[in-house]
Amino acid sequence: MASNAAVPFWRAAGMTYITYSNICANLVRNCLKEPFKAESINREKVHFSLSKWSDGKPQKPVLRSDTPQV
Amino acid sequence: MAMAVFRREGRRLLPSIAARPIAAIRSPLSSDQEEGLLGVRSISTQVVRNRMKSVKNIQKITKAMKMVAASKLRAVQGRAENSRGLWQPFTALLGDNPSIDVKKSVVVTLSSDKGLCGGINSTVVKVSRALYKLNSGPEKEVQFVIVGEKAKAIMFRDSKNDIVLSVTELNKNPLNYAQVSVLADDILKNVEFDALRIVYNKFHSVVAFLPTVSTVLSPEIIEKESEIGGKLGELDSYEIEGGETKGEILQNLAEFQFSCVMFNAVLENACSEMGARMSAMDSSSRNAGEMLDRLTLTYNRTRQASITTELIEIISGASALEAAK
Repeated sequence: MASNAAVPFWRAAGMTYITYSNICANLVRNCLKEPFKAESINREKVHFSLSKWSDGKPQKPVLRSDTPQV
Repeated sequence: MAMAVFRREGRRLLPSIAARPIAAIRSPLSSDQEEGLLGVRSISTQVVRNRMKSVKNIQKITKAMKMVAASKLRAVQGRAENSRGLWQPFTALLGDNPSIDVKKSVVVTLSSDKGLCGGINSTVVKVSRALYKLNSGPEKEVQFVIVGEKAKAIMFRDSKNDIVLSVTELNKNPLNYAQVSVLADDILKNVEFDALRIVYNKFHSVVAFLPTVSTVLSPEIIEKESEIGGKLGELDSYEIEGGETKGEILQNLAEFQFSCVMFNAVLENACSEMGARMSAMDSSSRNAGEMLDRLTLTYNRTRQASITTELIEIISGASALEAAK
């Protein structure tokens, strides 16, 4: 299944292997049938808040979440 | 003689309740305040009763927290043990090189967001600082990525210039691989590194958590090391399927390794946090129980002393009347 190109297409697009595998996992999750599908999507929710620091000071935190707060 | 006994009682009462502010004792509102005939003040029973009530409440709360931590621990422990299988093949393939000498190391410190969990966060920070000292020198630099509020607060004090990223609120949803892999991805995108050292508390048992360091190397370093030989040198003996080169496979493997190791580390750290919280709350409940015992003794002594004083007054009043007759 691996492409025969010099660099796989997703690597050329700037994705890491982790992003690639996450997208594939999401596709598989969407193929499930109804009760299991809702459960598995519920299970894999992402939420954390990331802030970069420069010169010893934190910048504004970026919230990466599936459920952005209002 | 009764006076002497009472004076001794009074003196013994005061040190045991020394923490209570003096204003409460001297407050005119407490109606059962008494003064011995020689000016020795005794503690009022009201004050002791209030203190006993608050200590009992604290004991109930800490017991409840211990139960909650125990149930959460049971839930996470199974997942943590199962996740150990994720990184074991990587270590079998690539080996673990904690002592590798690289130019840029990034230390990822995992800690908890909530407190009351004993000393686990401070041990993790101590290990991170030790790694910093070990790995700094001419041409070498160390940067920190901090996960969790507690480590952020501690490291902010003296290492704030070396912090690159900080992550909080990771435990809001139950931990899952998707979350940790997105986090790993963010770290990979924002930080340049030759070696990543993840510091976390490994869960051995409910009372034993050891701070551990897992090292993940970047693909370039792996290639360099594989030329030198050793475990990584045997990578060439593996056959590569498909059209990818060794460099690409190494890059994919390194990223995936980082994600798996992070997942395991986060789960183990969560287990250790619950275990530490259980034992911290357990010792608090025990201490509260002991304090309650001591306060009960004090309360009884105060009560008996006040009864004795009343009796003395009655009897001396009566005997004075008798003598006057």
